[in-house]
Amino acid sequence: MDTDIWGKQSLEEGKTKHISVGELHIWLKYRNEEVWITQAYNDEIKRKADLDQPPKDAEWSRWAHKNSSAEVAIQPVFPDKPLVIHSEYSLKISPETQIQIYTRIPVWIRISLADNDYQLTELPSVKLSRTWFGTEIEGELCYHAKTKARRDLSHVDKKPYLVSCPIKIVNKSVEELTFSHFCFRVERLSMFYHEHELWADETQIIYQGEDLHSEVIMTGKLHKGITKKQLLSKPRKQVHKSLATRTFKRFFKVGPTN
Amino acid sequence: MDLFNIYNYLPEETVHQLVRVVLIIVISIPILLLLRGWARRFFTKKYAPHYGMLAGKVVFYTGIILMMITVMGQLGISLAPLLAGAGIVGVALGFASQTSVSNIISGLFLIAEQPFKVDDIINVGGTIGIVLSIDVLSVKLRTFDNMFVRIPNETIIKTEVINLTRFPIRRFNAKVSVAYKEDIEEVRKILLDVAEKNKHSLSEPEPQIIFEAFGTSSIDLDFRIWAPVDEWIHLKNTIQEEIKKQFDQEGIEIPFPHVSFYTGSESKPLPIELVKGAEQFSSEADQ
Repeated sequence: MDTDIWGKQSLEEGKTKHISVGELHIWLKYRNEEVWITQAYNDEIKRKADLDQPPKDAEWSRWAHKNSSAEVAIQPVFPDKPLVIHSEYSLKISPETQIQIYTRIPVWIRISLADNDYQLTELPSVKLSRTWFGTEIEGELCYHAKTKARRDLSHVDKKPYLVSCPIKIVNKSVEELTFSHFCFRVERLSMFYHEHELWADETQIIYQGEDLHSEVIMTGKLHKGITKKQLLSKPRKQVHKSLATRTFKRFFKVGPTN
Repeated sequence: MDLFNIYNYLPEETVHQLVRVVLIIVISIPILLLLRGWARRFFTKKYAPHYGMLAGKVVFYTGIILMMITVMGQLGISLAPLLAGAGIVGVALGFASQTSVSNIISGLFLIAEQPFKVDDIINVGGTIGIVLSIDVLSVKLRTFDNMFVRIPNETIIKTEVINLTRFPIRRFNAKVSVAYKEDIEEVRKILLDVAEKNKHSLSEPEPQIIFEAFGTSSIDLDFRIWAPVDEWIHLKNTIQEEIKKQFDQEGIEIPFPHVSFYTGSESKPLPIELVKGAEQFSSEADQ
C-alpha cells in the first residue's frame, strides 16, 4: 500500500495508474482529453497478482473538462455522514470526570482536478455499513464503526487510510456515563498529515445527563507535534465551533416488537 | 360615416366601461399569477411543498373573486340582489351539490389533520401512489405504473390511509422457512450475515429473527430488517435473493410442503417396493 499518495498525481495518456488505500483500489487514466476513473474493493477482486489493470468488468466513469488537465489531486476527507462509533468494550465514566480517548476512522478519498480543484468523485477507503441514530420517527442516517477507545496511540500500527481523532469526554452530570457508543459528527473536523499519519483536531464532548443534549465542541486543539501548516483538508462544514446535540442517548426500545 | 369609429356603435360610456373592465382583467391576472408563484415558492421553501401549493391556490382564488367583484362593480351590477338571490339559489344548489360540499369540508379536515403531504407515498384502499396535489375536491395521485388517480376527499376521510413515507426508516419482514433438520443457530448466523452485507439494510435498529412457528412442513422464521424509507423496495428486492443464494451455498434446505404417512405409532413404516418398468406403467397411465 502506498503511504504517500496524498497530493497531485500526473496521468499519462494511455497509461493506467493504480492507487490502493484501505480496501479500495482506484485506477485512473487520461484518454482523449478526459479523465477516466474506476474502482473496486478487495472483496470484489478475485485474487489477482497484477493490479496494474482493473478487472475486465470494471465500469469506468469519464470526465471532460474545458481546460483539460492530466493532473489530479488525491485528498483524504472525512466521511460524508456522522459515524455512530461503538466501543469494543463499554467504558464507565464516573461523574465529574474527564478522559481523553482516540478513535481511528477510515477516510474518504476525494479526487479532483489539480489545476482548479473541481471535484470528480469521492470514494470511501473502507465500505462502512449504515446505521440509524435516533428514534423510529426521527433521527439521522450515519455510518457504523467500531473503536477500541484507546487512551494512547503510540504503540499502534500506522495505517494510511485511518485518521486518528482525539476525543475528550467530560462527564458533567451527577450520574455515571456508560460509554458504549456515540454519534461522532466529523463534518466539522480538519485533517492534518503528520509523520505519515492522518490526524484530526480535538473534539470535546460534554455530557450533561441522559435527558439533556451533549455539548460538542471542536476545540481546534492539535495533537502534540502537529502544526496548522500540516493541514491536508478543511472541514466539510465550516459552521459553528460548537453544537448541542444528542450524542450518547440510546433510542430504540429493547424488547419484543410486533 | 366613419365605419371604424366605435362610438358610432356603442355609447361613449359603455366603451369606457369596457375599456376599464379589460384593463382590470389584463392587469390583475398577471399580478395574481405572480403573487401565486411567490406564495407557492415562499411557503414551499419555508415549510413544505404541500403548504406552497395550498398558499398559491388561496392567493389565486381570493384574487379572482376580488377581481370579479370589481368587474361587476364596473359593469354596474349590484351585488345586493345577487346575494339575495343566492339565498334561494343556495338552497337549490345545496341539495344538488351535497357531494361537492362534503368533499370541500373533507378537504379542510385533510389540510388540518395532515395525514400526508405532497410527495408522500400513500395507500388508499389498495391504490398506492405519490401524492401530486391536495385540492379542494380531491387528492391526485400518480401510481408507480404511471397512472393518474383522482380520489375524492370524502373517500379519503372515510377510508383507511396508509402513509408509507411518513417516517424516515421502515422495516421489511421476510418470511423465511427452513427444513426441520436445519440447525436454527446456524440459520440465524447466516441471516444476520446476509443483513450485514446487504447495502440497503441498517445496522441499527438491529435486524431481528423471530421464531414464528413450527409449520406443517418447515420451521417458519420472521426475519426483520430496517432500511431508509426510500431504499425499502431495494432492500426487499435484494435481501430475499441474497438469502436464497446464501442458503444454497451453505446447503440450508428451504422445504416445499410435504406429508409423511404413518400407519400408527406401533406399526412399521409403509413398505415401498420399486417395480421394474414402472416408468412405462406411469406413461401408459397418463395416456
